[in-house]
Order: sequence, then C-alpha cells, then structure tokens
Amino acid sequence: MAATVAHSQQPLSPGGATSNGGGSSGGLHPLMAAAAANAAKQQQQQSQQRIDARNQEPFDLTSKKLCLADFQRVRTLGTGTFARVCLVRPSHGTEADRSKVYALKILRKTEVIKLKQIDHVRHERQILSDVSGHPFITSFQASFSDHEFLYIVLDYIPGGELFTYLRKYRRFDEDMAKFYAAEIVLVLEYLHEHQGGIAYRDMKPENLLLDADGHIKLVDFGFAKRLGNNQNDHPEETYTLCGTPEYLAPEVIHNKGHTTAVDWWALGILIYEFLTGYPPFWHSNPIEIYKQIVEKPVLFPQDPPISPEAKDIIRQFCTVDRSRRLGNISGGAARVKAHPFFRGVDWDAVMARKYKGPILPPVRYPGDAQCFDIYPEDDERREEYTDDMAERYDEYFKDF
Amino acid sequence: MSTGFTSPFGGNSNPFVRMETAGMQRVAEEDENDMITSPTTPSFGRTPASHNNGGGLFRSPFGADGASDTHMTGVGRPHLDPAGYPAQYNFGRRTSVSAESLKPPTGETYDNWTPPVHPKTAEQLQRLKEAMSGNFLFSHLDDEQTAQVLGALVEKPIPSKDIKVITQGDTGDFFYVVEKGSFDIYVSPTGKVEPGLDGAGRKVSTIGAGGSFGELALMYNAPRAATVISAEPNCTLWALDRMTFRRILMESTFARRRMYEGFLEEVPLLSSLTPYERSKIADALKSEKFPTGHTIIREGDPGDSFYLLVDGEAVALRNGDETPVKHYKKGDFFGELALLNDAPRAASVVSTTEVKVVSLGKSAFQRLLGPVESIMRRTKYVGVKTGVEEMDPLQIA
Ligand SMILES: Nc1ncnc2c1ncn2[C@@H]1O[C@H](COP(=O)(O)OP(=O)(O)O)[C@@H](O)[C@H]1O
Ligand SMILES: [Mg+2]
Repeated sequence: MAATVAHSQQPLSPGGATSNGGGSSGGLHPLMAAAAANAAKQQQQQSQQRIDARNQEPFDLTSKKLCLADFQRVRTLGTGTFARVCLVRPSHGTEADRSKVYALKILRKTEVIKLKQIDHVRHERQILSDVSGHPFITSFQASFSDHEFLYIVLDYIPGGELFTYLRKYRRFDEDMAKFYAAEIVLVLEYLHEHQGGIAYRDMKPENLLLDADGHIKLVDFGFAKRLGNNQNDHPEETYTLCGTPEYLAPEVIHNKGHTTAVDWWALGILIYEFLTGYPPFWHSNPIEIYKQIVEKPVLFPQDPPISPEAKDIIRQFCTVDRSRRLGNISGGAARVKAHPFFRGVDWDAVMARKYKGPILPPVRYPGDAQCFDIYPEDDERREEYTDDMAERYDEYFKDF
Repeated sequence: MSTGFTSPFGGNSNPFVRMETAGMQRVAEEDENDMITSPTTPSFGRTPASHNNGGGLFRSPFGADGASDTHMTGVGRPHLDPAGYPAQYNFGRRTSVSAESLKPPTGETYDNWTPPVHPKTAEQLQRLKEAMSGNFLFSHLDDEQTAQVLGALVEKPIPSKDIKVITQGDTGDFFYVVEKGSFDIYVSPTGKVEPGLDGAGRKVSTIGAGGSFGELALMYNAPRAATVISAEPNCTLWALDRMTFRRILMESTFARRRMYEGFLEEVPLLSSLTPYERSKIADALKSEKFPTGHTIIREGDPGDSFYLLVDGEAVALRNGDETPVKHYKKGDFFGELALLNDAPRAASVVSTTEVKVVSLGKSAFQRLLGPVESIMRRTKYVGVKTGVEEMDPLQIA
C-alpha cells in the first residue's frame, strides 16, 4: 500500500488499496522484480477494467465500503509531522460526482503507533465529525481505513494556508489581523463553550486555511481534545505535551495540567505574529524557546508600531497566570469580544460572514490548488504494518 | 452585502486591491512569478464590498487606513526596513510536536504508581540539586516534586573515554547530569552523525561536573541536536527519563488538585460552585509555608484572602483572650468572608505547628468567577449576611 501514496496523477489502484494491501515492494530481491513487474502489469489491466466498471457505480461518501479506490489523487496539499493531505476527486460516479473535489488526510498506521498518537487520531476523527458544519471549521465528510492507512475525507479549502500569505506579505496590518482574529475568537468560543470544552491545542497560521472568499477555516484537529465540563463530572485537565513549540503555553511546558486556556495563549502569539511577522518567542534551539516562554514577558518591537489595544490584548492572552488570562477568566469569550482591540466589530456580522476577507485567494475554479505549496509526492517512510501489529492495534482504529 | 454595512476591518486592506495603485506596480512586477499575487489571476480585479462606501469616507476604528499605507510598502519585501526584523528566524512551516499521552489516574483505575527511588548520599543529592537548580524545567518544582525527581535520577557510570552517550539525530528519552568527569559536544551540520572519522562534526563545547545535557528529551521525543562523547575515563552521569519525569509532575499536580477540590467542596460559602468552577479555583490557589507561631492573618487587618490549611495546625485568637476561639487542622479553612467584603479580620490565626496553606485573593476569585455575591445568590445564601456570620468565627463581633 505504501506505493499507492507514491503514485501521482494516476488513478489509484483499487486492488492495491483495499483488502490485499500491504504488499510493499520496498525490499524486493532483483530476481523477483521482473515477476513482480509482470504481475503488476496484469493487475493494472485488471484494475483498468475494474475502474471502467466502477465508473458507472454511483459515488457515495456514506458507503460503508468507501475506500481509497473511490478517489483519484490530484496532488499533495500539505504534509505535517503525522500526515499527508491530498487533493482528490471521486474516481467514479456521475459527471457531477466526478467534478467534486475533497481533501484526503492520510495517516500511516505505523507512524501513528510509533509516534504514540493513537489516542490523538481517534480524538481527531471524533471531534472533527462533532464540530463539522461550523462556518470557520473544515467540514468532515467521511473516514475509512485499509491495512496500512487511516483516511479522513474533508471539504477541500482552496485558498491555501494563512501561513503562506503571512510570510508572503511579511506581516498583516491591524485591520487584517483583527479580521482573522475575530473569526478565530468565534471558533474558540464555539469549541470551548458550546462543545463541552474542546481544547484545540495547535493554533498557528499553518493550520488556518482561507476559503475561496477569504474567510478562515480551521483544519487539523490532530491534538483537539474534549476535556468536558460536564456539570456533575470532574472537569478534566490534560497532561499530554502537544502543540507547536513557538505556540506552547507555559502550563504545557511545565506539565501542570492544561485546559482550553492554552488556545487563548496561542491566539495571543498568533496576533503578535500577524502584526510583526514572527512569534514573540523564537530561537533555533527549542529549549531556548521554552525557557523564554516561561520566563520572559512578551516584548514589542519599535517597528512596526503596534497599537496600545493590540499590545494589550496580546499581553492579556499571553499571561502566564491562568487566573488572569483573557478568555479563561470570568466571562470567557464574551470578555474577549468586548476588548478594545475588537472595538466596532459586529460579532453577528462576523459569524454571518458579512465582512469581506482582506485577502481574496486567487482561486480560479473549485479544484484549483495553486494557492498551496508544492510538496514531494513520494513518501519515503515505508515501515510495514505487520499482521502482528494489525492484531494488536486494529481495534483502536475501528472507528475509522 | 448592503452598502450600509461598515466594516471595522478597514476597507483598504486587501492587498490585491492595493496592487492596482501605480505606486505598487513595481512590487507587483517583482512578484511576477509568484502564483499568489500575480496580477493576471482572475481574482485580481475583484474588489472588497467595502469599496462601495467610497475610499475616503471609510474609516476603521483605529485609523488604520493611514497605518496600512506605510504597512503596504513593506509588505512582502523582506529587504525593506530591516530594523527589528529577525533575519535569523526560520520562516519555514513549523511542525507540531507531541509527547506520548499521559492519562491522569481515574478513580477506579488508579494504579498507585510511585516514582522510582535510586539511593544517593546526602552529598550527591546536594550536588545534583545544585546542578539542576538553574534549569527552568526544574526551577518551578515544589519541594516534594524536587525530592521525587532527585530520587528518580539513576546512576550511569561511563568507564572509559570516547563513549558516545548520545548521538545527534537519534531520538532521545533521557536527560543527563554530569557528576564526575567531562564530555565533549559535537555538532554535525547535516543534523545527524555521518560515516567516517569526523562524522560527528565539529566540537562545540565541553561539559564538566555539575553540567547537564539532553533536557529536550524530558519534554517529548525529539531528535538529538548534538553528539555527546566522554572526554576522559571514569565519568559518572545521572539520568532521568521523560516518562518518569512527566509522570512525577503529573501525579503530584493531579493529586494536589484533587485534594484542593476536595477541601473546597467543604467550604459552605462555595457550595454552589460547579465542579468546573471549583477546579478553576483550585488551579489558582497560591501555596505558602509558615513556621510554628506565625500569624497568618491578623485581627483588625482588612481581609483580602481566603485560606485553606493543607498541612499542620493553627488556632484563631481574639485580642485579649488567652484561649483560642477555634482550632484548625488539615482541610479546614478560614478567612473566607474576605471573598465577600473587606471587613477587618475579627480574629488572628496563628500556626501551632509548621503549616502549609493555600490562599486565594478576592480579586483572583472575582476575575475567575465574577462577583461572589452572585454565586451565593444561586442557592441558600440569599440572606447573605446572617448566613455567613454563622459560618466564620472570625466574624463573630
Ligand atoms: N481540508 C483541507 N483543504 C485544503 N488543504 C488542507 C485541508 N486539510 C489540510 N490541508 C493542508 O494540509 C496541511 C496538513 O494538514 P494537517 O491536518 O494540518 O496535518 P498535520 O496533522 O500533519 O499537521 C495543512 O497545513 C493544509 O495546508
Ligand atoms: Mg497541521
């Protein structure tokens, strides 16, 4: 199955994608290679016939038998530590079906296990489907798995990463920063206060996409966790260190147990990075970043000049003491919305997407991927998912 | 969008719109090959709705129209105004990091984990304590946590010279303190050790007794940034692994939080708090230790904090009286009326043993949960005054 991910611009082989996957040809003896090539050719012909047959079959995202062969890969949109996300189209179905596009997040089971992310991917799948439908969150469509991989089908968000624009423009002016921050405030309010205390835990420009109209879509719920503030139950704090170094809250670094308050800290870092072009704490050595986060105040550069309101909201988010951190203190997100930085913002209008996005992504058609960077299509890590591993771990992946 | 809709985000911040002005043309040309700002992309001519308002009339709440003018000249051109811009910052995409998940012990499945204890002499303990004191990962630990971490350090004798303790590029689970001997640090520019004689790269420093290395491994599993090789025979290292370290921190924090929440549940004034609110309070408590005979609160002083006695004993004394009006033991609380008003303390509280208390100020309480009065109004404390007076001997006039 490893080979499937390495294919590009070709229909994915339906056979290789499903039950009889696992036949990685990685370490094949040269003498056997020819035979394998022959077999592959035969298989390809068979596949072609099967594809032709399938073209008539309807494309159904809700099908229990949804599999990789139902999609055709266009190109890679992004890679992270744990996953590769590809732009895909349905490989069969009606003309209308086949003109659709999706983003397919692909996680290799061996990597998930090796990096001890089993709990995280399960939460990701569950929470994504729970919060799907919010105007500023990427919609979940389906999930499935095969022998070696886990897949999450998402709506394709064509505008690219906010990260790309931020680096390109170097920094945003306060109006732009305010526009994006406002939409993010609504996402955090929703996750924290209307969804039973979901901590997102990986806020950063790389995980914020722009849709075709220039509005925010939050992606990557890989670290999201439902902490639950069930009134009769003990609220949970969580202890797993996760996030992105520059954006980690001090309580995460100190392993004090953390809550949704970590997202407000990260929003402070994010607004700072919007306005200056770089995060307040940075160093080539991550340990130095952590030292700064727990010991140093946020300092602002002379240039560009930053308004007192912006400085104040950043300082209030980036407050080490959680009992003083804006967003976490009494009033929650409502207090954030009332901060002078957001003066004049009509929050209902933000939610209704009435404000026009300051950046209009150059998206020419729905499946246009020009806003995304190019990534190598090859996936070099090829550790086999053995039957032993399947026996041991597959039960954890059964929700996919 | 209707024409009457004014945007607080500023009408002119769309960079694509800005490109249309003559002054920006040069910038646009420089960007010729760039897919995103290419003026030939169809979106280029689109204008934001706020243009309907007419440029001059539209003002953002912070007067950012002017500011964005200066901003736009700098946009996308790193060589413009280099002042204050960190040239060394790596502007690439950042990847996430994650440690293995740590699950707090739940009621039934509490497995009574205790941290490993590797015996050490008092002298060794002192040296290790000193070696670790300057490190931000340990400097915030309380006495109990420090003792557990010190106890968990395990001895690693390194008998000879040229033994590779850690290898650049490998993933690491251990942090090391040098007790005896010295170690050379090598860094290879490729990020990993290459084959061959000088494969470990350039020697960048030497770490001697009292020094330490590998602390990032205490946070998550990350590739080692350097290679460390013993520089002399008969070295001694002490090692601590990530799981043990993080577990010590988690278990003690968790246990303490549960204990505080348990104590808080007993405070009548706070009985209407939800568990969620109680945990927020538990999180904000400040802990202090006092010797025997210390006056924790003084009669007549304005009350501003509320206290829980976590360890030890104390008494409440009123001016002139010989006998205490009340005895306090572990789990008892006093001074909670300070959360309600700033009335002077009606008695002093003095420790009769060494004590550990945790306290919460009125302002912290209100920051977290809003006015106390409104919380008490939720249930039986409608007649705040009488109800409360019965609760606290400190308020008996
Ligand atoms: N629904 C989507 N539409 C378009 N691009 C996406 C989508 N989801 C993810 N991406 C791209 O893929 C990248 C990696 O996805 P992400 O879920 O963040 O994976 P990881 O957990 O590895 O960081 C994102 O930063 C983004 O550029
Ligand atoms: Mg990501």
